[in-house]
Amino acid sequence: MSKIAIKKIRVGVASCGVAAGADAVLELLRNRALPFTVEETGCLGHCYAEPLVEAVLDNGESVFYRNVKADDRDIDNILALGEKDRFEIPPKRKSKELIKVLALAGKIDPTNFDEYVENGGYAGLKRALSMTPAEVVNEVKLSGLRGRGGGGFPTGTKWSFLAAKDTQEKILICNADEGDPGAFMDRSLMESVPHQVLEGMLIAAYATGATKLFIYCRAEYPMAIKHLKIAIEQIYAHRLNTVGDRVLEIIIKEGAGAFVCGEETALIASLEGQRGTPRFRPPFPTDKGWQGHPSMINNVETFGNVPLILREGAEAFAAIGTEGSKGTKLFALAGDLKNPGLVEVPMGTTLREIVFDIGGADPDKVKAVQTGGPSGGCIPVELFDTPVDYDSLKKLGAIMGSGGMIVIGNDRCMVETARYFLDFTHRESCGKCTFCRVGTTRMFETLERIVAGQGEMSDLAFLEDIGPKIRAGSLCGLGQTAPNPVLATLRFFRHEYEEHVKDHRCEAMQCDAFVDMYLDRAKCIKCKLCIKNCPIGAISDDFAIDNTKCTKCNACKEICPKKTIFRVKKGELL
Amino acid sequence: MSIEFILDGQTLTAKAGQTIMEAAQEFGIKIPGLCREARISKTTSCFVCVVRDKKSGRYLPSCATLPSPGQEIESSSPEVLDMRKTALSLLLSEHAGDCEAPCTVACPAHANVEEYVRAGRKGEFLNSLKIIKERIPLPMSIGRVCPRFCEKDCRRNVYGEAVAINDFKRLAADLYYDEYIEDLPELSGKKVAIVGAGPGGLSAAYFLRLEGIEPTIFEAQPKAGGMLRFGIPEYRLPKATLDRELAHFDKIGVKFEFNQKLGRDFTLDQLKSKFDAVIVAIGCWKASGLRCEGEELATPGIDFLYKISSNGNVAPNPGKVVVVGGGNTAMDCVRSSVRLGSADVNCFYRRTEAEMPAEKIEIAEAKEEGVNFHFLVAPLKLEKRGEKLVLICRRMKLGEPDASGRRKPIEIPNSEFETEADTVIAAIGQGTLSPVGIPTDRFGNIELIKDSSKFGERLYAAGDCVSGAATVVEAVASGRQAALEATNALLGKALIIDHAVYVSRGKWQDLTQEDLVFLRDDVSTDLREKLKFINLESRKNSFEEVCQTMSSVQITREGERCIECSCTAKNDCALREYGDAYNCDANAIKGKRLPVSYDIRHPAIIQDRGKCIKCGVCVKVCKEVVNQTLLSFKKRGFSTCVGTTFDKGLPDSCIECGECVESCPTGALAWRIKK
Repeated sequence: MSKIAIKKIRVGVASCGVAAGADAVLELLRNRALPFTVEETGCLGHCYAEPLVEAVLDNGESVFYRNVKADDRDIDNILALGEKDRFEIPPKRKSKELIKVLALAGKIDPTNFDEYVENGGYAGLKRALSMTPAEVVNEVKLSGLRGRGGGGFPTGTKWSFLAAKDTQEKILICNADEGDPGAFMDRSLMESVPHQVLEGMLIAAYATGATKLFIYCRAEYPMAIKHLKIAIEQIYAHRLNTVGDRVLEIIIKEGAGAFVCGEETALIASLEGQRGTPRFRPPFPTDKGWQGHPSMINNVETFGNVPLILREGAEAFAAIGTEGSKGTKLFALAGDLKNPGLVEVPMGTTLREIVFDIGGADPDKVKAVQTGGPSGGCIPVELFDTPVDYDSLKKLGAIMGSGGMIVIGNDRCMVETARYFLDFTHRESCGKCTFCRVGTTRMFETLERIVAGQGEMSDLAFLEDIGPKIRAGSLCGLGQTAPNPVLATLRFFRHEYEEHVKDHRCEAMQCDAFVDMYLDRAKCIKCKLCIKNCPIGAISDDFAIDNTKCTKCNACKEICPKKTIFRVKKGELL
Repeated sequence: MSIEFILDGQTLTAKAGQTIMEAAQEFGIKIPGLCREARISKTTSCFVCVVRDKKSGRYLPSCATLPSPGQEIESSSPEVLDMRKTALSLLLSEHAGDCEAPCTVACPAHANVEEYVRAGRKGEFLNSLKIIKERIPLPMSIGRVCPRFCEKDCRRNVYGEAVAINDFKRLAADLYYDEYIEDLPELSGKKVAIVGAGPGGLSAAYFLRLEGIEPTIFEAQPKAGGMLRFGIPEYRLPKATLDRELAHFDKIGVKFEFNQKLGRDFTLDQLKSKFDAVIVAIGCWKASGLRCEGEELATPGIDFLYKISSNGNVAPNPGKVVVVGGGNTAMDCVRSSVRLGSADVNCFYRRTEAEMPAEKIEIAEAKEEGVNFHFLVAPLKLEKRGEKLVLICRRMKLGEPDASGRRKPIEIPNSEFETEADTVIAAIGQGTLSPVGIPTDRFGNIELIKDSSKFGERLYAAGDCVSGAATVVEAVASGRQAALEATNALLGKALIIDHAVYVSRGKWQDLTQEDLVFLRDDVSTDLREKLKFINLESRKNSFEEVCQTMSSVQITREGERCIECSCTAKNDCALREYGDAYNCDANAIKGKRLPVSYDIRHPAIIQDRGKCIKCGVCVKVCKEVVNQTLLSFKKRGFSTCVGTTFDKGLPDSCIECGECVESCPTGALAWRIKK
């Protein structure tokens, strides 16, 4: 029996891998004189296991290693195909996921054109070019694809608007300004399979007659920009940018990081060099967009879906998902769960499956999930059987958004959670609409008062009154969704608000104003670690915590080896 | 191609490209909005102009929305009005300005202080007087005796002392009172009777005459003036000065019926039958007793003062005097006693100096004149022993604050002591002597119908008899209010404009110099001008007026000290106009405002960011109308503001065309020169 040998090694060096130290692992591997290649690849979506290293065997199988450290022991272990740190996708997750859009992510070298083509890349474009533009638009319509940026507008319909324009210049814009904190679906896609996004854009350009292609990408995504630039050069080299009788220019524009520039009219203003503020619609961008030309904006993930539709056909695509929401959806799972990362599931998968089966969260320790990023809404655990699709989430006051999903554990305060999200959105308001600029600030200030123990019941009435008005009285999606976290928590967790206001109590013991630090001296082993680590000297030599001094920073609680320090209700255990 | 749509049930036609707001305007329906300027592209930022699409329930900014055929739009449903009110309230909550200067707000008569001070600064004293008399028909008296509410709230108190506002009135009146005659309209034929020729009644008569209503004042005394003549002593308000002031009332045609007392010589019903309305302004002439055994032995304070003033300031030496009380009447009594020759004048007060309701300046001047103050003593019993009176008092200490906010005096047991005196004066308060048949409150004052000056059909009341003993300027304000209400009723006018919106940067006590906005960069740093007093001996020996009117040089210098706090747009602010129309409370929604940041680097234009509502009109006007780009938005979120390139201020290329200033809906961009 001949020994199975390693054919090549792949190291996941997308941003999440690099953040975990994959760069050093890659360097160490490359410093070894090895009889096979060590390649870079993108992201497999298992953030908790990064850095991930794949050893591709000559029998075609692969062995994965998780949390690889940049030391010789770990490297030797991999090279010897040792049993230590082997990584298997958790079976529960595997059974629920359906990897379509991300099929090549983490499997190929993102900068290698041939590898993409060998794996079916540009077959979609080829097929599209064999059809008439109108047939392509129709194919996308039939697929039922809806905008993945959060709006959920039928993509084919949008394309038909632009296609119908009879103007010299038509603009196609890829929205890569992924601004939701904790969301990284688009980044991952661009970093791992940039050609797939570009292929989608080229197909769209052919179908709609677009003459100029922009990618508006946030400057905080340097690797995505780098990979896109390389891919664009490769496209130019292979003349793939010639569609029909047009030679297309693809321009990457780096955004300066304003959340609101993910909003289409603000994005266009920014692209034109103006201040990034939304404007009143109509006219819609497909009528009057960049520099006054008809313009169409699709999100990265939307474009990422397009090659699949063209390659496999609209019918195959529409076979996945629910009545109103077709295909798969990427989610960035984060928060209080075991396996955070990027997941892809068919539309209609329930929150329960995503959070518990895929995310590995403990069902006894979760109270809600926040969908749609900071402008989404939280959904309590009782409603986790809700299928994830555009319409079901909206009914609950949440949104699909671009796919951020934050799991909220029992030890989190929902008022504080709402305050945290509002802190982000009220700062990111562009300042134009009165309701958004002043209204979200007043909501935020009200929440600050409530968590600080200065809330009144009239504050809750104020939040409930102003929230819907901000939604109704704002031009763009930022203001229209900013009150969601507050209104949703007020709807599902009103008792927590009332506890803060009436009883001066935070059940989760998270709001410092209602908390004392308590040291259980009976169990204390007098190691003095707490005393040494207290930044303001609030713990006396005989282990008494002076709560008037204490800033509730938790340094003592976290350092205590015997877990004798607790957060307790203020004044309860003194 | 025109489009028909429905607005509040009416069918309107919009021309091609016309917005809902424009079509409504053409139809005669004005939809409020703060960010629309006809010459620029739409800003769609304020959301005050929202309307609602009836079918979808969606709110639409009417300034930008083109109606679709047959669309049903709501513009005055409760929901729409509530949305607009909320938008305005949100804007008001971030709007940091002063709709009125704090002095004007503090003045019970709401005189346009800033304007008459400015006129004084320029040496235009006749104009100054004219502005003063728009609200204060008794500037000579008030210029001398007013406790200066305005100065207590003057922002100049943040550094140095308040501007000597009241002295502007006194000088302007001294110089031009006789010369200035108001434009008097022809008499309308309506007649109003006024009972009482004190400040309240005189004020009512004055403002009625200015509206063409003939006033007749019925006065119990043989002369007019009320407390001005029979209460306030000569050394504070010389009667010759008062006569000069009152002569003007004859000149403008106010009729007087002297020695006519309500209830004795006539009844209200009789007046009602002869006049179109009656205003009762009978003052507070009932002195409160000492509220202890033997109180009848004490002389009531106002009686004491009345005797002096009604007898040409001649009265016997009262001997050793004890005045019980701590208000202005008590000060008048002690200081008058000094002038009558008493060598031993004492003031007994049950709390401490800090709680005395008397004006600080009165207390200080009384001390200078040798009055002895005894604090924390309360009368227990007054008795006569031979020729002398003996006042038995108990010592007090201060306890917790009471309803008035002052610390309540508490008796100290076994602390009684006796004081012998020739005269004991009770100056602890006054009440109204209401004739039978007039509704009164629990204090005995006339009770008015809520939110009015009326107490019956065609019956009004004003002054102390409504408020209880107060100040001249409060009586004047109250008299004006009653006069205007009567005018509105008789002539069908709407003279009283009540603003709902009063935005203020705050009381000076909560501000620092950095919080002040300076319109001029040459506000004087000099100290307040001092009043000149006659020498102390003359003060003690005669009823000569204690201080002199400031000189015109002094007043001009004093005017340079005024910061001019009121908003540059106070008469021309769309935010306030709509805020008033939608009955907004500027403090309904609370929260932070932007830190004070204003720019007066440009010689002619001030940019006051705190007042900016971020409508963006100025930015677009400069760009699209003037073809410059000198203004632009900066920052994000709540900190969003309009700024200049690299924050360098408006550059030389600014041609001062004023388009931005004129199109600013508030006072965020304004000319630095107030007119």
